[in-house]
Amino acid sequence: MKIAMPDGSRKEMTVSVARIDEILKELNINPVEVVVAKNGKIVPEEETASCADELKIVRIVHGG
Amino acid sequence: MLNDLEKKRYSRQIRLFGEDGQAKLKKAGAFIAGAGGLGSVISIYMAAAGFGKIRIVDCDSVELSNLNRQVLHWSDDVGRSKARSAKDTLEGINPEIEVEALEETISKENIDQLLSGCSLIMDAMDNFSTRYILNKAALQKKIPLFHGAICGYQGQATTVIPGKTACLRCTFPRAPPVTTFPALGSTCGVIGSIQVTEAVKYVLGFGGLLENRLMLWDGLSCSMDEVACMRNPGCQDCSALIGDANYKQEMSK
Ligand SMILES: [Zn+2]
Repeated sequence: MKIAMPDGSRKEMTVSVARIDEILKELNINPVEVVVAKNGKIVPEEETASCADELKIVRIVHGG
Repeated sequence: MLNDLEKKRYSRQIRLFGEDGQAKLKKAGAFIAGAGGLGSVISIYMAAAGFGKIRIVDCDSVELSNLNRQVLHWSDDVGRSKARSAKDTLEGINPEIEVEALEETISKENIDQLLSGCSLIMDAMDNFSTRYILNKAALQKKIPLFHGAICGYQGQATTVIPGKTACLRCTFPRAPPVTTFPALGSTCGVIGSIQVTEAVKYVLGFGGLLENRLMLWDGLSCSMDEVACMRNPGCQDCSALIGDANYKQEMSK
């Protein structure tokens, strides 16, 4: 599974299928701070992703 | 109808969208939530573009550390209320429009009153708890919410059209932790400008909006990206409206 990290770097993860929240935990990312897009679409963290999927982890900004 | 001075003032825009388009902007009332970094850019460009009524709300006073990004306020304004300072700047930019500046804290209790007579909500807040108040009000009143947020070199924007798109809570179900965010003024420039462009297109009724699209700006790599948002059927903010027949009908279009 290809993962685009919030800092712009890329990671490859070898899992067959996993929930998004588990993937975030594995990557040591606080789920409250990000939204995750699977194949270009934002999905809830209960959704699963498999090895063919591409994830993009976006850090939410809150300032104005 | 536009007077002669207005025709001259807006001549470059009239080349873009005609006197009819300019008259539509003149009829539009915008509520700008916040007179900080985003609120500065949004209000200045909306005033200059000729949105007929601007109501800008902020409860704070101008501090020296605001001036790197809050271009509504100048060095002499330090210590003054941001609302008062905003009104002076905006009226200086465009005396043809009506500017109301209120020194208020936006709350669930006063949002209805604050929004009266406004048909557009510009999100220039610095926290998600107030953004959720704006989101609910937009859904209830069925008026658009133009979301923007920034941190450092990064920013995001999306346009919420009630009955048509994901709401802010669908995309961001939980507020990220509140922190003192670093801010570059030019990042506010990028995101605030996108929000105003969205509002202009919405009022004029053409062009492609950021509907169900979250636009992401990274100034550090100088790149724009976007991800798709979808309505969450279990969303605590907009799913309550699904019982509303009109809303349901509009959603299925
Ligand atoms: Zn929603």
